[in-house]
Amino acid sequence: MRRGFELLLAVAASVTIAFLVLPLVALFLRVSPAELLGQLGSAAAVEALLVSLKTSAIAHVVILLVGTPAAYFLAMRRFPGRDAAIALIELPLVLPPAVAGIGLLAAFGRRGLLGEELTVLGISLPFTQAAVILAIIFVASPFYVRQAIASFEALDPEVLEAARTLGASSRRVFARVALPMAWAGLSVGSALAWARGLGEFGATIMFAGSLQGVTQTLPLAIYAELDRDFTTALALGGFLVVISVALLLLVRLLPGWTSSTSISLFRFARSSSGSTSA
Amino acid sequence: MLAAASLTDVLPEVDPGPEYSFGGSSELATQIREGAPADVYVSADPRLARALARGGLTSAVADFGANRLAVVVPADNPASIREPADLARPGVRLVIAQEGVPVGDYAREALRRLDLATALDRVVSEERDARAVVGKVALGEADAGIAYATDVEAVGSGVRAIEVPSAAQPRIGYAVAIVRDGAAARAFVARLLGAPGREVLREEGFAAP
Repeated sequence: MRRGFELLLAVAASVTIAFLVLPLVALFLRVSPAELLGQLGSAAAVEALLVSLKTSAIAHVVILLVGTPAAYFLAMRRFPGRDAAIALIELPLVLPPAVAGIGLLAAFGRRGLLGEELTVLGISLPFTQAAVILAIIFVASPFYVRQAIASFEALDPEVLEAARTLGASSRRVFARVALPMAWAGLSVGSALAWARGLGEFGATIMFAGSLQGVTQTLPLAIYAELDRDFTTALALGGFLVVISVALLLLVRLLPGWTSSTSISLFRFARSSSGSTSA
Repeated sequence: MLAAASLTDVLPEVDPGPEYSFGGSSELATQIREGAPADVYVSADPRLARALARGGLTSAVADFGANRLAVVVPADNPASIREPADLARPGVRLVIAQEGVPVGDYAREALRRLDLATALDRVVSEERDARAVVGKVALGEADAGIAYATDVEAVGSGVRAIEVPSAAQPRIGYAVAIVRDGAAARAFVARLLGAPGREVLREEGFAAP
């Protein structure tokens, strides 16, 4: 009886892993490593890679700089409406990317909510790299912020209290105690947000459009190549998979992070399942 | 039925029966090459259909219908575009379809014929099909786009069409081919090429080939 149940669990795990990995295996069966490397010679691929790395890196810096203190505040303070605020932060996780794109247009487009104000300032966001960065921040930041909130909440309150009673200012408690202790969880959230940002597609194509060397990121280049050369699209897809896997592995392999990493990844995955499709 | 996006409003009127999947003609051709289940392929670029036929993936190809290009601008025309030559003015935000999809190649050909290659420097985004081009214009984010005249009419409010002179018009025709032979596929092609198809095409602003 018990063995039967164990077997059932093992089968479920195998099916899950096989289903998730099969498309990736199929991708690499269709693209030889030579074709993959050959893409490095194509201008469209290289420019898309550069646009992707630049926009996602800038977006990531913004996410970390604003998201970390925001998450700390939401994790440590109790105030009316706190649950609602956290729910709002999670909203982009479950929003279809096309809706995110329309929303960004409705807010920052020429005819959007802030359109006139931006025009007065001489700023026009659609079709620019700034629009790509905004789209990435919108869809990727919740991955980091919610993980950061969970990491800060998991800190032992007595340790923080001890630091305070020893005379540390709240800024010092944040920088010297909370940040280092939450580091592992923050890193996982950071890697996931970056990976999600690199894969961002739907909001970008609606809000920023697609132009080689300007707004065409790797996912947009893959989409564009589907119309021209399926092999190139496959190779670019393989390229993106390699980069994303490298990012996630980096987090897993860094020494000392393993145990807490798996716990927080698990917590993350459980509470955001079904929301990562792009 | 895998069919060109520019026929979205046409085919269900010709024959409401089948299930349609509309998209860019070249993307649909890719899907057929990758083995997507389909009975009929309706393409905005006869060359794409003929390439599939040569590869043995479809039956012989039949031509039907014809379309024209138009410059599309938002109804309030913020960049005051009055003729195609205005597209090359500095500061104009132009959207066209990408190279390799029919409407994108046609747009480039028209600009070449108009001696307006500089207009390509005004392109702020390259879209996947004609509908996406009109969409960006209808949202008011782009000052102008180049799409099929019939797409501009289909969207209606919010956008306005500006004529592209006949001398600059590339030859734009449609083609249909049977992917998986069967009674349903044959009946559909017969309707499309026959009187019912011709009538709907004329009503929607398409010309005869």
